[in-house]
Formats: sequence, structure tokens, C-alpha cells
Amino acid sequence: MGVPAVPIITARFKELVTTSAYKKGIPNMRITYTPHPITDRPAELCRQYIAGNDPNSGQPMLGQIYDGLSRPLSAEDGKGGFLPRGERTRLLPPDTPEKLMEYFHEQGFTDGNPVILPTEEKVAEMLKATSRQPDEWVGQMRPSPPHEAWYYTVEMVAVNAVMAGAKPEYFPTILALAAKGVTSMFSSTSSFARMAVVNGPVVDEIGMNTGIGAMGPVNRANSAIGRCWTLISRNLGNSGKPGETYLGSQGNPLNYNNLCFPENEPGLPAGWKPLHVQKGFKKSDSVISVFSGWSMSDIAWYSPLPIFEVIRGWLEHFFSFGTNQATLVLDPIVAADVAASGHPTKESFAKYLAENTGTPGWLYWSQNEKALEQAKKGEEPYAGWLRQGQGAVVPVSRYVRRAPAGRNPAFMARAEGNETSIEIVVTGGGTNTFWSGGDFGYVGSASVDDWR
Amino acid sequence: MKSTAVKILGLALMVAAASSIGWTADPARIVVMNPQGVKPEIRKIPMAVRSASLDGKTVYIVDTKYPNTKPFVEELYAALKAKYPATTWVLKDKFGGYMDDDPELWKEVKAKAAGAIVLVGH
Repeated sequence: MGVPAVPIITARFKELVTTSAYKKGIPNMRITYTPHPITDRPAELCRQYIAGNDPNSGQPMLGQIYDGLSRPLSAEDGKGGFLPRGERTRLLPPDTPEKLMEYFHEQGFTDGNPVILPTEEKVAEMLKATSRQPDEWVGQMRPSPPHEAWYYTVEMVAVNAVMAGAKPEYFPTILALAAKGVTSMFSSTSSFARMAVVNGPVVDEIGMNTGIGAMGPVNRANSAIGRCWTLISRNLGNSGKPGETYLGSQGNPLNYNNLCFPENEPGLPAGWKPLHVQKGFKKSDSVISVFSGWSMSDIAWYSPLPIFEVIRGWLEHFFSFGTNQATLVLDPIVAADVAASGHPTKESFAKYLAENTGTPGWLYWSQNEKALEQAKKGEEPYAGWLRQGQGAVVPVSRYVRRAPAGRNPAFMARAEGNETSIEIVVTGGGTNTFWSGGDFGYVGSASVDDWR
Repeated sequence: MKSTAVKILGLALMVAAASSIGWTADPARIVVMNPQGVKPEIRKIPMAVRSASLDGKTVYIVDTKYPNTKPFVEELYAALKAKYPATTWVLKDKFGGYMDDDPELWKEVKAKAAGAIVLVGH
């Protein structure tokens, strides 16, 4: 900005802010901290915070702000140049396997579980599964937009693939995933999860499980590819260091494997396109698709209502942090029931759901401050909706794509090709009428064939 | 001649000893590859020069609009105005949500202000 500045941050984020300031090139940034949190705190308490001291420095907050904006710079503050950064070595110092495993855990190279130690021999075997050169750049990844990105080559991805327990034949799929540059451990206090769905011939080629237990820990390819995403994110994508590059307050157990599974393409009802075809690929292409969300519920409900109506009702009342997008993962027999109920394509079913779901009143009013003000002034239709009470359903769907007021137009660009924010994937073994639903949204897809 | 032989023998013993304690000669120790990626270089940014006093100057208080933090921002504005009345304090909302950039506002701050306070939640 080129202007003296003092950021005010809540004290819980000291580590994040000081490390970020260093990485942004301002190691002596003059930061003032306030007690944490300041959200939802009454004015009187805020007044006390402001009249008090910075909890980290112990200095009066207001005086420290003024001082930060006016105290002359030291010689060091005014200098340019480069800040020290540890040099990367290709090999680590030799040690016993036991000590190396401990070192990997201590350095945060693992997901907390043992890994296969990446010897040069094992990595060389992995590299044989791609025509790409070991020193070719694959991409970059960062924990969230304000953080710095780290860069990685084919060989560096292979190291992590070995660690995850992947067979070499999984490697092109892992490279495609790495090339998307999407971390599995997005840094937000809200504990994001990710999902990876594989489509095309590669599913059978590498023995992924589309049947019973497809989303569970019963298949090496499903497990290792999903696990590798988190190792890649931590080691190549600068992600997953608590307090610094990861802030998820409770963390998310889905990050262990990132819901990695293939779509059961033979189980799709006639007329329902595979996910990758929906996203513009040919059926014969091998593709991995990435989703972002927080949570997934596994549901079966023996009801006199048809399944598609149960799904509609669930979507209407479903609530989580990501309330305005949803992904349904249907077992093939659920998909068949839905299709037989008059929904000839995934898209038509998603459209039906979006057009026939409202929003619970309490949720609508808590998300639409302006509408609430209009309702209180007696403006219709808002006033009428509000009169029905917080428990009534407001006839506005959460699943129709619309850019929130004042938000970046990129929000809409992401939604191209889908007029709803509902995605549908089919997987499972057909043992019962189960389906899963969650707040996941589609992020993008990558060709596996490009990395063979 | 004898001296040269001793030197060669000594050298050989030293090599043998070095090998026995060397990294790769110990069968219990293995070499593994670094799993980490490449970190970018960090270019240091010189901090903006400060005025010794803010009297008669303007300072922007930029609210990034983290949800439900308005009471704190407004109390901060009131407290600064009361404690430092010789400075003009301007409270300004940043465009969009707290994650959105606002280059126009940063231009305005640079043109009009001697300093800025930027508030970030939570």
C-alpha cells in the first residue's frame, strides 16, 4: 500500500500473523492484538478490550496503535533485499528407518500414521509409471489465497506417492490431482474437507472399488490416492501446520483420505452421464474431479414417500457451514429409483431439487440481513414470509446459482455449466437404498491421461 | 621408501576407518528423499516511512467486515477520536466480504491518508 499501517488482529492468531508477515516480506510489521474473539461481542465488552492492553505485548492498545503509525523506522525496517530461507536438499541425511520415521512425524511430513520411507529406489519405480520427466514442474499449491504457494516437480510428487503407499500404476492419477493445485487442507477456522471422484477407464485399470464399501477403507487404490492428497498438501502445498498454515478449529477426519472414490459408471441409470462427461470430458477419458465442502451424512430412510421426495426434504432442511451447495452420492439402486420416478438425467433431477426446495426461515433470515430489514419495514414479499415465523419455509432456494451482492464475479464463473449448486455422483454396491449428502461443491477436474 | 609405504598404509587405514563410520557404509542407515516442495524466495518490503506525529493528519480505519465485528470497529473509531482529537479518523468499509481485495480503497488511502488501521476478525 505504501502507507504506514497497523493491522489489528485477535490474539489467537499471533503465530499465523507473525509467520505470514515474514513470508510477505515485512518481518517487523507493527501488529496490535486484541483479546480473542471479537465476533458477536457486545459494545461494552469491545470498549473494555480497546481501553485495555494488547494481550501479547502488555502495552495499552490505543497507544500502541498510535505508536505503530508514527514511531520512526529503524534502519532494518527501511531495508529491502531478501529474507533468509532454508535451502532445500534433494536427499535427507541418512539415518536408521526408525529414526527417519520419527523425523518424518516430527517435521509434519506425515498424516500422523506411518508412511513408506521414500528411498531413491522406490521413487525411481514410481517414476516409471509416467512419461513425464522427474524434474518437470507439476504445479503450485497454497493453503489459502493469502498464503504463499510452494512449487513441485514430478519427482517430488513421486516421493509423496511412495510415502502414501501408492502402487506405481496409481501415479498418473496422483499427478493429475497434484496438477490441480488444490490443497486438501484449506486453511480456514471452519475445517474444510475435500473429495476426489475418479472416472473413466483408469478406475478398472488400477483396481479402484466402485462397489460395496466404495467410500470406506477397503481398497488400496481408493485409500492411497486419497491419502496421498493430504501428504502432497502438507509437504508440497505448504498446508496443514496447525496455527500457521492450518486453522481448522476442530479439524476434519475426512482429510485422512479426502473421500476418494470412483463413480460406479456401470451403475448409472440409462441417460445419466458420468460426472466427467458432465464436465466436458469424453467417456473414454480418465479424469479425477475435486470437490470442496465440510461434511457428509449417510442416509437411509424407509418412508412411504419416494426417495426423491425424501432427498428433496432433506435438502430443504439440511444445515451445515456450507448451506448453499450440496453433493449427493447415490447408491446405484437409489439412482435407479430416482430415474424411474421421472428424472431422466442428473441435471433434470438437480434442477427439480433446486426449484422445489425452500429455505428454513431461521436460516434465510440469518443469511439475508437486507431482506430482514425490508420485512420489518413491511415490504412484501419479505414481510409476509417473516409473519409466518422462523420455523416456516421461505420459498427461496439455496441451490439456484446466484452471485451474492457485492461478491467477486469469479463466484459465478465457477458455476458455469450448472445452473444449480447441486452435484450428483453414483457409487456403491447396491446392498440397500442408501445415499449420502453433504455440503460439497464442485471445484474442477483434471485429465489423468495427460500424466501417463 | 619405508616412509612412503607407511604414509600409504596410513592413508589406507584412514580411508577404511572413514568408510566404516561413513553415512552410506552403515547398513542400518538409509538415505531417503526430501518430501517437501520448493519454497519461494522472500523479497523484503521496506516499511513505509512514518510521520513523527499524526496531528493534523488523516488515518483510515478500514473495516474488512468480518461477520459480527461491527461493534468493535465502531468502538475503536470512537476511542481513537476521543484520545487523539488532533487526528482525523476516517472509518471506511472495504468492498465485498473480508476475503475480497479492494484496490480502489487502497489507492484512496494512499492518496488521502498518513496511515491506515486494518481490522481482521475473528
